[in-house]
This record gives sequence, structure tokens and C-alpha cells, in this order.
Amino acid sequence: MRYLREVVAARELLFNLVSREIKGKYKRTVFGQLWSLANPLALMIIYSFVFGLIFRSNPHPGDPSGLNVFALWLLCGLLPWIFFSAVLTLGTGSLVANAGLIQKVYFTRIVLPLSIVGSSAYNWLFEMGVLVIALSIAGAFVLPWIPLVVVIMVMLALFASGIALMLSVANVYFRDTEYFLTIITQIWMYLTPIIYPISLVESASKDVGGLLGTSITLIDIYRLNPMEHFVLVFRQVLYDNRWPDGIEMLICLGWSLVSIIIGTLIFRRNERNLAEAL
Amino acid sequence: MSDVAVRVDHVSKSFRLYHERNQTIKSAIMRGRTSVHEDFWALKDVTFDVPRGSTFGLIGSNGSGKSTLLKCLANIYFPNKGTITHFGRIAAMLEVGSGFHTELSGRENIFLNGSILGMSKKEITSKFDEIIEFSGVEKFIDQPVKNYSSGMYVRLGFAIAINVDPDILVVDEVLAVGDAEFQEKCFQKFRDFRKAGKTVILVSHSMGAVEEMCDQAAWINQGELMAVGDAESTIQAYKDSLPRLTEE
Repeated sequence: MRYLREVVAARELLFNLVSREIKGKYKRTVFGQLWSLANPLALMIIYSFVFGLIFRSNPHPGDPSGLNVFALWLLCGLLPWIFFSAVLTLGTGSLVANAGLIQKVYFTRIVLPLSIVGSSAYNWLFEMGVLVIALSIAGAFVLPWIPLVVVIMVMLALFASGIALMLSVANVYFRDTEYFLTIITQIWMYLTPIIYPISLVESASKDVGGLLGTSITLIDIYRLNPMEHFVLVFRQVLYDNRWPDGIEMLICLGWSLVSIIIGTLIFRRNERNLAEAL
Repeated sequence: MSDVAVRVDHVSKSFRLYHERNQTIKSAIMRGRTSVHEDFWALKDVTFDVPRGSTFGLIGSNGSGKSTLLKCLANIYFPNKGTITHFGRIAAMLEVGSGFHTELSGRENIFLNGSILGMSKKEITSKFDEIIEFSGVEKFIDQPVKNYSSGMYVRLGFAIAINVDPDILVVDEVLAVGDAEFQEKCFQKFRDFRKAGKTVILVSHSMGAVEEMCDQAAWINQGELMAVGDAESTIQAYKDSLPRLTEE
């Protein structure tokens, strides 16, 4: 609790660091903040072409929204994923990137990875805003669901922060962490139903049956992935426009709390040694 | 409130001297360990008090542990043994301008750097003109700091740090920056500090500066405290210990 107060006391610093990230990032570019849309748009076009058109990954139409647009269905899962992987990648490097600062000035170190969460969340909000507009144009009645979307976004941000806090410390001791992570996030993304519907995994799992003679199926293991649950609830709210399953929300909440608590504890234990270890 | 600004109580600090350090997972697994090391004690059982309102100099040869002690005072390193107690708000100036974002303007960097050093937005706003005036870069305040000359960069950094207005100011060898005029300004600022009853702790290799500025000093050699107290006698003791290079 005392630690929490310390973090709250540093909120102005956190705010300034976030705005440093945001302002510094697109400085001297012609398109500025629009660049943050470029990456999701490019991915959307590629995946829609490859998986929507060629492979015919055919998700169920939104129920009850009635939407049936692959690109929008994709974005409802892709945008949270892009945020998540940005927080992991940038957050992991945040302590090493600011080594000079850590060795010269005392301040609450946790604001460094958290500032990455803040600046990524800013981009994400911008992207989600555009998505909400696109969904509305396509005919989804998404506006009343926005508060719930924000709640889920906060949960995902907590989940991502916790992992980023752990990895940022790990990266101080083992610089491999960042490189390792780029591979892990790629694998992780394909293990999450972002570009294909989970129904494909379910039918594949049925074909295989119980693994190694047990009653555990492929889908049971597949669903251990926390991101699967986050993507699911995001789609239920944004694309289907309905209340997410309560149990799914609880699973997301559980993962985010476990992640942020463990992440903060690990960070706190190592915080004092950072200046020396860097 | 006591009349002590900082109490350094039996402080020891060790570093690991690595004979082998496996900072990659591959090497850690291959060798079956992350490191082989021995402890090097940079500070050994150092105890002294810094009186409130004094200008306190830390002197000693290179590698004697001065900077380690300073970093411990600034809460950047934490001693293995012993405690350091501060009575009042502390600000450390170990390197000026760290944390500047080169693409941002001087104005934006004042707010950023000020908050890193622990100032609130209100404080920075109220001190804003003073900072700009002290730094002497008002003409360029809306330019990105990457276009600043190195002197301007350092002056702006110093101006921010000195306006944090702490009870205790910890300064590393930063006085060696800027031209003579700016240095005079800094010395003046330190004198004002002392008049206001604030404590300054500084490290310098320039005995002249220490003699001129400090009323108290501690001499550290090989991590051990050799002498502490009145600046003049401490400096004399330190000088006497040096090989007589200038005798002839």
C-alpha cells in the first residue's frame, strides 16, 4: 500500500514521461499521430486478403449485431493484440533504454515501464475510436457498450503492465529477453484466435479427441492462453454487441490481477538494484 | 529537527567484481551459473554527520569511493550495511541534463526534467522564469534541445536542478561546466543556498573550489573515512598525505 502511494505521488512524472513518449515519437513526421493507424491498417489489409479472401476463414456473423465483415471482425481482436504486444516489447526495453537516467537520478523507477503502457494506451484509444466509428458506419450499435469496452481495456492494460514489469527487470539481467520476446509474441499471436475464429480450433480438437488417452483435449490447452479470453470478450462486446459471458470476464479479471500483483512485487524487489545492475 | 542534515551511519557498500559474467541465457545455461565474482568493498564502515546549513566537501583520490558515497546519499545505490538518514528534502545533481529528450523544446524539457527531479507542475511554473533567466537560453527556449550548444544544454540542466529548491543538495563534479561567468553564477547560487540555511554536499577534485566553498569536509581513501570535520584541516591532512610532487 505504501508503494501504491509512492506511485500515485509520482503521477505527474508519469504523465510527463507519457507525453514525452507521445510527443517525441511522431515529431518531425508529416502525418504525425496518423502513423499509429498505419500499422494496424496494413495488417488489416494483409490478413483480410490472405485469411479472409484466400483461406476463407469465415467467422460467424455478429450476434445480435448482424455484422459480417471480416476486416472489422479481425480488428476487434487485432487492435487489443497490437496494444498488448507493444506494451510487452517497449516495456521490456524501457529500463535498459533509460539506463542513464536510472544511474543518475532517483525517482520511482516503476514509472518507466508504466509510461510505455500509458503512451501505448494513448495510441490504442485513438485506434479504438476509429474502430468504433467504422463499426457504427457498418451498422453495429456499439455506442452503449463503450463503458464496458473501457473496463475490458483497463483489464488488458493491467495484464500487459504486469508482464512488462516482470520482463523489464529480467531484461536488465539478461539482455536476451527482448530478442526472445519478439519470437514469443509472434508465436503467441498465432496461438490466439485473432486472424481465425476459435470454431476452427474446436473442430480440429474434436477430430483429434483426448490427447494421449486422457480426457484433456486440444481446446482445453488452447484456452489456457489468457489472451484468448480477452479477444473473446472484446469481440462479444464490440462485434456482437452483447454482454460478454460472466465467466469469461472473471477469467480476464483474474489474469489481470495475478499479472499486475506478481509484476509489481517482482519489480519492487529488484528496484533498488537496478542502478548497479545496468 | 536536529542540526544534522544527513546522518551516515556505519555505511558499507560492496560491488561485485566479476571474473565471469553471463548476461545471456545461453552462456548462463552453458556455464551453469550466472556469474563468478568476489566482493569489492568500495565503502567500509563510514560514519559521519553533515551539519545542517553547512557546505560539505567530499575529497579523496580517484577511485576512493567518493562517487559511490554520493550515489548512496542520492538514493541511487543502497548500502549493504548501515543506514543513511536524510533530514529534509534531498535533490541530487550527479549529471546535468540527464533525461532531456533531444527532440523536445527547452520549454518542454524544463517540465519533463523538473518532474523527474521531483518538482510538481505548480513549482515548475512558478520557477519557470527564474530557470530560464539563470540558464541564459531564453532566446532558444522553444527550440529543440538537440540544437543547443553543449554549454547551453548543461546550463539549462543545471538551472533546473538548482531550482528544485531542496533542503539538501548533492552535487557531483558538475561545477567544471560552463564558462567562467556561469561558474561564478553557480558559486553565487551556492552561497545563497548556505545563507538560506540549506545544506550542500559536493564532490570536487579541485581543492581550490573545495577550499573556497566548503566549511566542512570529509576525506575518503580506499573506501575508508580518514578525516572529517573542519574543511581547512581536512584538506591539509589530505594534501599532506599526497606524495610531494610540487616540493622542488
